[in-house]
Amino acid sequence: MKTLVVDDEPLARERLVALLSEFADVDVVGEAGHGIAALEAAERLRPDLVLLDIRMPGMDGLEAARHLGTFTPAPALVFCTAYDDHALAAFDANAVDYLLKPIRSERLRAALDRARRFGRETLDAVIADESPRRERTHLCARVRGNLVLVAVADVDFLLAEDKYVIVHYSGGEVLIEEPLRALEVEFDKRFVRIHRNCLVALDKLGGLTRTPDGRVLAKLDRVATPLEVSRRNLPALRKMVRSL
Amino acid sequence: MKASSVPQHTEGHRWLPQFCSLPTLFAVVVVAELVVIVLALAPGKTFTAAVEELAIATVFVQWLALLNVVVLCSMRDALERLSVRNGFLVAWALAVATTALGSMVVHAMDAALGFGLVARHIPAWRFVLSNAAICALIAAALLRYLFVRELWQERVRAAAKAQVDALQARIRPHFLFNSMNTIASLIRTRPVEAERTVEDLSDLFRAALGAREGMATLGEELDLVGHYLRIEGLRLGDRLAVVLDVDTLPRELPLPPLLLQPLVENAVYHGIQRMPDGGTLSISGTRHAGQVEIVVRNPYPQSEARPGNAHALANVRSRIEYHFGARGALLVEPARTEFVVRVRLPYGSP
Repeated sequence: MKTLVVDDEPLARERLVALLSEFADVDVVGEAGHGIAALEAAERLRPDLVLLDIRMPGMDGLEAARHLGTFTPAPALVFCTAYDDHALAAFDANAVDYLLKPIRSERLRAALDRARRFGRETLDAVIADESPRRERTHLCARVRGNLVLVAVADVDFLLAEDKYVIVHYSGGEVLIEEPLRALEVEFDKRFVRIHRNCLVALDKLGGLTRTPDGRVLAKLDRVATPLEVSRRNLPALRKMVRSL
Repeated sequence: MKASSVPQHTEGHRWLPQFCSLPTLFAVVVVAELVVIVLALAPGKTFTAAVEELAIATVFVQWLALLNVVVLCSMRDALERLSVRNGFLVAWALAVATTALGSMVVHAMDAALGFGLVARHIPAWRFVLSNAAICALIAAALLRYLFVRELWQERVRAAAKAQVDALQARIRPHFLFNSMNTIASLIRTRPVEAERTVEDLSDLFRAALGAREGMATLGEELDLVGHYLRIEGLRLGDRLAVVLDVDTLPRELPLPPLLLQPLVENAVYHGIQRMPDGGTLSISGTRHAGQVEIVVRNPYPQSEARPGNAHALANVRSRIEYHFGARGALLVEPARTEFVVRVRLPYGSP
């Protein structure tokens, strides 16, 4: 079983790797120090199992788990934590297993057995339980099969097109397969709807202008072409812009 | 006055006001003067007579009031041994008796010296009796007021004490378990460091569990901070860089235990630890005239809306306030990329 060890503390990784070395069928293929590094490593190494610390700088374990869920095939997952996290208590205990640090070898064995049995059910449980509750820091896209992580803070606007949403951000644009409505709910403090098919980052909004023929356009700081504001969304947008 | 700044009396023991204290003395003097003014204002006197009476009575009444304060002050210890009710009655009786006696002496002296300050047509027994009656009424009201005020102050002090006790710095459970994990990890490969980490952790928990009563010294606190940073340094690896510049600080300066460590812990938990690449935590100390200043600074991730744990800061701030009053301070500087906390403590003669 190809295994990836993710923890921001070098000594914690060292110990986990030492414990894992006692299991003949476990092959530690890599280590990572935070969520983004974990996703990059998982992309490269395609592990069967990820042992994931919850509290990490940058992207934490819970968010990394959500992104791992978009991988095909998705790895099995075991969380590690130093202290009973409230975040974990909310999960379906059947699917999500977690280890308390310092980790016992017996506990680790049980968790590995479960991981083999449950496979990606853990990830599905994390995605189902976690997605409505917390904002992600990154959006996860695939460009020609390669993983692209876009920091939500870098996003200018989101444009729905057929089944996809086009993410326009400082580094260009990528497609993601998520409904615009779900993104609007998840990032309700960051994005505002200006049109049936468009969400704009509030902090990138430069101002509103009216064209001679009566249409209202939203100007974004980094975006050359202004975006059309629909009549329906205009009053709510005006109110929001004024309250900024 | 010193004793009142640190409450060490248990509830119910300290029901009598400190008569010799300035606030109480002031209250007594003011009330006495009010009585004199009220008497002088009573209708049926000419203006000159009223002013004259005011002057003479002020001297007499203030003398009596001070005499009462001195008597009650010197009897305070004896009075406190009685029950609240009896003590109150005895104090009141003492005040009336002192006034009666004082009046008697004054009347006799006035008569003997022939000053005529006391109106001649008033016989001695009436003079003494009416003064004692006035004193009985006023003293009852005043003692009751002082008693209630003392009770209220005692309650405020007790509440503050309870709050400070509750504020007794705690160590985050995460820290304990992370440290245990660090030790578990070190035992295999670096037993000497594992041993030292156990010692460091023990010292920290000894302080946090309140094993030692009373004040610690700045030197001990800096040692604790050193132990704490050594453990976190092992845990975070090269993500934690520390710059220490505290050699000029007076190590003997008394301060409540765990006053600085929570600030450093804050800097690690909300700053360094949240940065994927870590950062430099700096602690510097300077000594000025009458005070020392200790500055803890750390970078923090830009995505954090509110750097630092407001609770831990408020905790340290209230403890500084409680122990040093206005002579100590905790200042937070919200900078764009750095979180800076300044602690000022009095040192030497104020």
